[in-house]
Amino acid sequence: MAEEILLDVRHLTQVFPLGRHGSVKAVDDLSFQIRRGEIFGLVGESGSGKSTVARCVMSLYRPTAGEILFKGVNLCDRAACRAHRTMLQRERQLIFQDSTSSLNQRLKVWDIIAEPMRIHGIRPPRGTYRAEAEFQMHYVGLDAGYLDKYPSELSGGQRQRVAIARALSMEPELLVADEPIASLDVSIQAQIVNLFRHLQREHGFSILFIAHDLAMVEFLCDRVGVLYHGRMVESAPTSALFQRPLHPYTQALLSAIPIPDPRLERSRTLQTFSPDLVSLDGVLVEEEPDHFVLREGGRP
Amino acid sequence: MKRSILRSIGIKVLVFVVSLLILSVAVFCIARLAPGDPLVSYYGDRVEKMSPQERAWAEDKLGLNDPLAVQYVRWLERAVQGDFGISYKYKMPVTEVITQRMGNTLLLGGVGLLLIFGGALLLGIFCAWQEDRWPDRLLCRAGTVLSCIPEFWLSLVLILVFAMGLRWLPSSGAYSIGGEGNVGDRLVHLILPLTVVVLSHLWYYAYLVRNRLLEEVRADYVLLARVKGLPRRAVLFRHCLRSAMPAYLSILAISIPHVLGGTYIVETVFSYPGLGTLSYESARYQDYNLLMVLCLLSGAVVMLCNLAAQAINERIDPRIRGERDGMEQEVRTP
Amino acid sequence: MTDGFQMVGIRPVPPSESGRSAPWYRGKPVAAAVVLAVIVLGCLCSEILMTKDPTYLDLTNCNVAPNREFLFGTDAMGRDLFSMIWYGGRVSLLIGILATAISTALAIVFGAASGMAPVWLDTLLMRGTEILLSIPGLLLVLLLQAVLGPANVWSLSLVIGLTSWTAMAKVVRTEVRQLRGSDYVVAARCMGGGFFYLLRKHLTPNFFSSILFMVVMNIRSAMVAESTLSFLGMGLPLEVVSWGSMLSLAEKALMTRAWWVIVIPGAFLIATLLSITSLGNCLRKQANRKARNL
Repeated sequence: MAEEILLDVRHLTQVFPLGRHGSVKAVDDLSFQIRRGEIFGLVGESGSGKSTVARCVMSLYRPTAGEILFKGVNLCDRAACRAHRTMLQRERQLIFQDSTSSLNQRLKVWDIIAEPMRIHGIRPPRGTYRAEAEFQMHYVGLDAGYLDKYPSELSGGQRQRVAIARALSMEPELLVADEPIASLDVSIQAQIVNLFRHLQREHGFSILFIAHDLAMVEFLCDRVGVLYHGRMVESAPTSALFQRPLHPYTQALLSAIPIPDPRLERSRTLQTFSPDLVSLDGVLVEEEPDHFVLREGGRP
Repeated sequence: MKRSILRSIGIKVLVFVVSLLILSVAVFCIARLAPGDPLVSYYGDRVEKMSPQERAWAEDKLGLNDPLAVQYVRWLERAVQGDFGISYKYKMPVTEVITQRMGNTLLLGGVGLLLIFGGALLLGIFCAWQEDRWPDRLLCRAGTVLSCIPEFWLSLVLILVFAMGLRWLPSSGAYSIGGEGNVGDRLVHLILPLTVVVLSHLWYYAYLVRNRLLEEVRADYVLLARVKGLPRRAVLFRHCLRSAMPAYLSILAISIPHVLGGTYIVETVFSYPGLGTLSYESARYQDYNLLMVLCLLSGAVVMLCNLAAQAINERIDPRIRGERDGMEQEVRTP
Repeated sequence: MTDGFQMVGIRPVPPSESGRSAPWYRGKPVAAAVVLAVIVLGCLCSEILMTKDPTYLDLTNCNVAPNREFLFGTDAMGRDLFSMIWYGGRVSLLIGILATAISTALAIVFGAASGMAPVWLDTLLMRGTEILLSIPGLLLVLLLQAVLGPANVWSLSLVIGLTSWTAMAKVVRTEVRQLRGSDYVVAARCMGGGFFYLLRKHLTPNFFSSILFMVVMNIRSAMVAESTLSFLGMGLPLEVVSWGSMLSLAEKALMTRAWWVIVIPGAFLIATLLSITSLGNCLRKQANRKARNL
């Protein structure tokens, strides 16, 4: 595969100090790459450092160690960041988990969608900001009648669409979606995931899709990385990972996916995973092409 | 454990001292930036007849010719040794001028504070007890009106009625001429200023107590106590009051400087010889040395009171260690 | 649109209907609003109401008690109090509003800066305000006034505004501390919104309701400060007619027992302050109610 690499995360480590004594290692020596036009899923249980990765990629946290290259710009280098500020702000967009708090309650929908354009002083190609917002809303499947509504008047799914429209209005290269479907109902989740897929095909941007719902990840992503306690334990193309999970943690995780057929569901066995058995000291080993697994001490 | 306590006390003392230093620099600069001739307060009208040489000599004598920084360092050096210079106007050491007046302000402020906090507590309890019945409503109404009356105007009206009209009470001063040792005379002079100080603050704190008690009354434990069969009065005094008390105490600590600051205006209207009139004079007549000490003194009182409030708050709720906003906001907006 | 994609969520927006049930004046300070409106209107239209020239020194009619000709009497310099009340009210109200505007702007910018700043800077800024607060207010005003030179309406508003913003700034800081972690602020920062953009668009609209009460009360305290300072001879000079400068003749009036010079301007001042207070209290109740429902 000779595709261009859009985001390159190398040995990212993020340590948060906890008061006077002690600290917590949220992300530990994490490396992954996202190619142009690829949807990369990052899964893991809560507290495994998924959101921290997202925030590091968005430069909201300064990583303790390691580097993040976005289109060749090192995000950990302040001078480089400043030099490419506008590009970075436009080409990376973030979508939050909770659409209630990610939209300002006091702004109307069209104001929210036009906000990034306003900040960057972009002349709206369709005349007015309002028209631009209307266009974007249509794109994400929202009726123009919602233009003058406040976020609190919309449903969760509609709000998430507004958030997506806001992010897309800048036509970004990379969309960082931090659990965008976790706070939605299951039926709405499917709609939003469909929307992501559709938009990605139309625009061709890359998505860093963070989730803990494996079914959605399997449906949406091209490649998946499994995060456990801040470490990448396995990373592979989606089909490979879901068919032949190699790491015990991944196996346990996959065995927990409910099967939408009651007979099969009853017969399946839940694999248990005991953290004592797996050491997190190790290196990622490429067992199959593009399929990396964390192995102790580098042994296959 | 003990070491960490010592450490935190050490930090507090350090912050306190540094704050005072910064305050002194600020006051020093502002006071000297203000136009005005400090010689006038030292020599009085004679300044106008002075020749330029005499003037220069006088300025030199008072050390007014040096650059600001030099003047400040010199002041600081002496201040550390306990010498705060002389007051230009009174021609005595500043400390002496202040100690002469301090008693009067402490008397007015101290008695005022006691009356305010005692009275506010009683009134607050009474209003909470009578919630939404006519005495409560009447008192709240009256309180709102009282809180809107500027202190100086209240003083004027009281003087107009009780000193000018009825001639019951003296209108100014702390004692009649020649009656300095007379306790009765002192008290008679204290009545009007004290009334103003108390009336203008009483309601605010009473209202605070009332609201806090009403919050407490709505808590679940009150229901439990009532179910147990405790009479209303016992619940109010034994439980609600006890849990409302620490918060009240911390507010009390913060508002001490506030109440003392209020006495400044009252002192000026009643020509009461206290620190208020003194600082007013010193600022108006460029009596730098006096002004510095007065500002530092009040600054120290404010900071100490804040520290005390903080300590009380930490006792109540160990979570707020380091953070302290809640209480202060409430007090500064009467 | 493609096949794999379904349009969901499009449906006509029903027209919103507004229903009113309770009478509009319930729980609202109607009396206060009326009094305030009368005073403000009277001051604005003082030309119509005035029976005399408020600045004319009618030396033959000094210290006249209220009568037919001089409705509220005259002061020691022979000026007609009735005319002065309406004429001077403008200045008092103007100073109240101007000073509040200054202190509110300062409080918002300073409080938000402190709230958004890293911890060390925040601590430093808050310490700074604490030190500033520890100088007695009256002294601070006196010193600033001396630096600024002889008082006029603008300099007095400036001085009062400069000395009365700290309490509000603390509230703003606390609010901003809570708001700055919320996702929409983070989102706006990711998009590249600067400090003032955030302040204007996201922060101020969200915390303003919680300082609204303080803003209204600030008008009140600014007017009190104006009158107190003018009374002490540190505010407006006698020629500039305001309720405060009218009261600065009070000490002379005490000697001559001219009660009307003291009581009448004071009564107007207090009536205004009282109306503002009840309006403020009403606002506070409303803000609290909203906060609870959200």
